[in-house]
Amino acid sequence: MNESCFQRSLKDFEAVMGEYDLTTEEKEALRSGDPRKLRQLGVHGMLCLYLKRLDPDFRDNIYWKQK
Amino acid sequence: MPLVSALAASHAPNILLEPGAEWEDFMRLHYSMAPQGSASRPTLEQQKKLRQDAETAFAALRADMEQANPEVLIVVANDQFVNFFWNNMPTFFVTVGDEVRGQFTRHKFHYRNHKELGKAIVRAGMDKGVDFSYGEYVELQHTQTVPLYFLLREPKLPILPIYVNTWVDPAPTPRRCYQVGELIREVADRARERVAILATGGLSHFPGSPRIGEIDESFDHKLLEVLRAGKGKSLIDYSVQDLLQAGDTEFLNWMVLLGATGDAKASYTSYMPDFVATGWGFASWKL
Repeated sequence: MNESCFQRSLKDFEAVMGEYDLTTEEKEALRSGDPRKLRQLGVHGMLCLYLKRLDPDFRDNIYWKQK
Repeated sequence: MPLVSALAASHAPNILLEPGAEWEDFMRLHYSMAPQGSASRPTLEQQKKLRQDAETAFAALRADMEQANPEVLIVVANDQFVNFFWNNMPTFFVTVGDEVRGQFTRHKFHYRNHKELGKAIVRAGMDKGVDFSYGEYVELQHTQTVPLYFLLREPKLPILPIYVNTWVDPAPTPRRCYQVGELIREVADRARERVAILATGGLSHFPGSPRIGEIDESFDHKLLEVLRAGKGKSLIDYSVQDLLQAGDTEFLNWMVLLGATGDAKASYTSYMPDFVATGWGFASWKL
């Protein structure tokens, strides 16, 4: 995930989503962070994984300390 | 000088993570994608055994490479959205900068990039109908640094990262990857330096997918059997979909290597499923 986009998302996720042409359903899926919903909307599996970085439970995961 | 050594190895991050807390953290994230995948969660003892077995496999590969005394190591790997995104998704990319860097947890990597060999490959491609993308700046990621940690921890040689799009649809066919490998072999055989090639990735795994935790061991064993028989070209008629179904699209990196090794038989193979996500595979060719 683009680092500046990630940092801005931490501060104001709604504002960052507003920068993109997203449907209500897509925004809800992104808010939920649920990979099942995201994958159904066509999100690449690896990006579903990367979006977990926005989840407080996974924010400091070891996976982000490598690329 | 000819191509003198060929190696292939998985690049799964948990190969280089420490058994225990780091593995647990890694598994917690991966299993959050599909909780059923945790059914075969490895114990600490199994994690340690896997690390030990991987180190043994890498030691065998490193010994073969060092015996061949290469002067440059081509590293064929895939990007995972670190350098390339949908705004620019090259099918094949050659690095032509002066140096490359990367970091994996507490491990830092910094190598001289063999841009002359890179440019020679790009030029040869133009002549032969393979129009590579190329660029000066890339950031190394686990797809390169995990095997490099075990094979070339000290930057004694320059490397040459070459990227294959194995992840984003549409991806190149196994046949096309094999052709690219043949082209690399032609250039390597004309190079002044002794050239080694490393392909990374695989084997079967489904990261980010509902199938995470599944490993198609029989497909992986079939691939390794083909490598031992020197029949890599027999795989060119596989479709990307065939590989996708088996969780083996990163084998496209290995297909490039197989184009370079031709009918040479792998002299060493090793395989271990990690019970988390990936069938770890290793192979070496003495050329």
